[in-house]
Amino acid sequence: MIRRNGFTDESLEWRSWLEPLRVDEASPLQLEVLDESHPQSRTSPYYLTLAHQPLMLRHRSAAYNAIMYAPGGLRRAERELGAMVVSVTNGCVYCTSVHAQRFEQLAKRSDTVEQVFDDPRTAGTTERERAIARFAIAVTERPAGLGPADIAPLREQGMSDEEILDLLHAVAIFGWANRLMQNLGEPASP
Amino acid sequence: MTATDTSSAADVIDRAAGLTAGDPLHAARRFRAKVVEATQASHDALIYEPVPGLSTEDRLRVAARVCTVAGATTLLQHYETLIANAADSGALPSPALPAMLRFAATLTTDPRQGDRAALEPLKAAGLGDAAIVALAQLVAFLSYQLRVVAGLRAMREPQGQAS
Repeated sequence: MIRRNGFTDESLEWRSWLEPLRVDEASPLQLEVLDESHPQSRTSPYYLTLAHQPLMLRHRSAAYNAIMYAPGGLRRAERELGAMVVSVTNGCVYCTSVHAQRFEQLAKRSDTVEQVFDDPRTAGTTERERAIARFAIAVTERPAGLGPADIAPLREQGMSDEEILDLLHAVAIFGWANRLMQNLGEPASP
Repeated sequence: MTATDTSSAADVIDRAAGLTAGDPLHAARRFRAKVVEATQASHDALIYEPVPGLSTEDRLRVAARVCTVAGATTLLQHYETLIANAADSGALPSPALPAMLRFAATLTTDPRQGDRAALEPLKAAGLGDAAIVALAQLVAFLSYQLRVVAGLRAMREPQGQAS
């Protein structure tokens, strides 16, 4: 278990500040979208809150699942590293806990998690991980200032355009996910 | 533009990033065709999915404000064009629009500022839970969309050129 700087890799819960949809009042479309979004969405305050706008949730879930889980391209542990660095940079404690765990499961180690919790700007056990972390921070903090100098370190690590795009998607969608988690509710201890 | 039309001319990110069919980066995006389709469909749902208390015109006004705050110039042009072409572009904004714009600008620049109190002005302005969810999704999606566009534009530029 890792706890540093207010972040943790323990499982947290999330509490909505709005009224989550009641399953017994859901429309057929809302139930369909919940079931295709996540296996536990019918009991998840997060999915039940987003289900107030079902078509949006449907397309968001499709984008999210394709970005984080699709086979091929960038290694999944590296997508999770990008997600974790963005979540720490944005201060999203809930998303950080989830994606720290996913990184640990996929990479079968936690050294990088400790480093990201300590300081994402210097985190990474290899030059490739450091390049991924720095890119994730740049995309998060100064999207309007991105240029070829931000891409070059990734190419130097041998990443193809498809892999760089996988990383860009993973990093960018946590700009989306963090804002939902941070603005519609808050983390809670189970 | 519809959610099922995924041709390049209709794809907002391709246009904002300056990608056309035949461009290697245009082809690289299609390695993740599901992401391209779901991203465009998200954009369409954000603007057109009916939500009580949140007009398409006000959503476009919020989108334009987010792009301005974030310096997303080409995406700003896209949303301004949609505003100009909106069926009801002359309609008066909702009385809740100032609160919506403030919420959007804060959340765009610093997601740490999100707290329970930030939702109160929206509720006080008459927005229900579905409208607040839709507004939060809109702002959060734009944070994603403008970063994908910015990253693609950085990838397009030749190495060694000043950014």
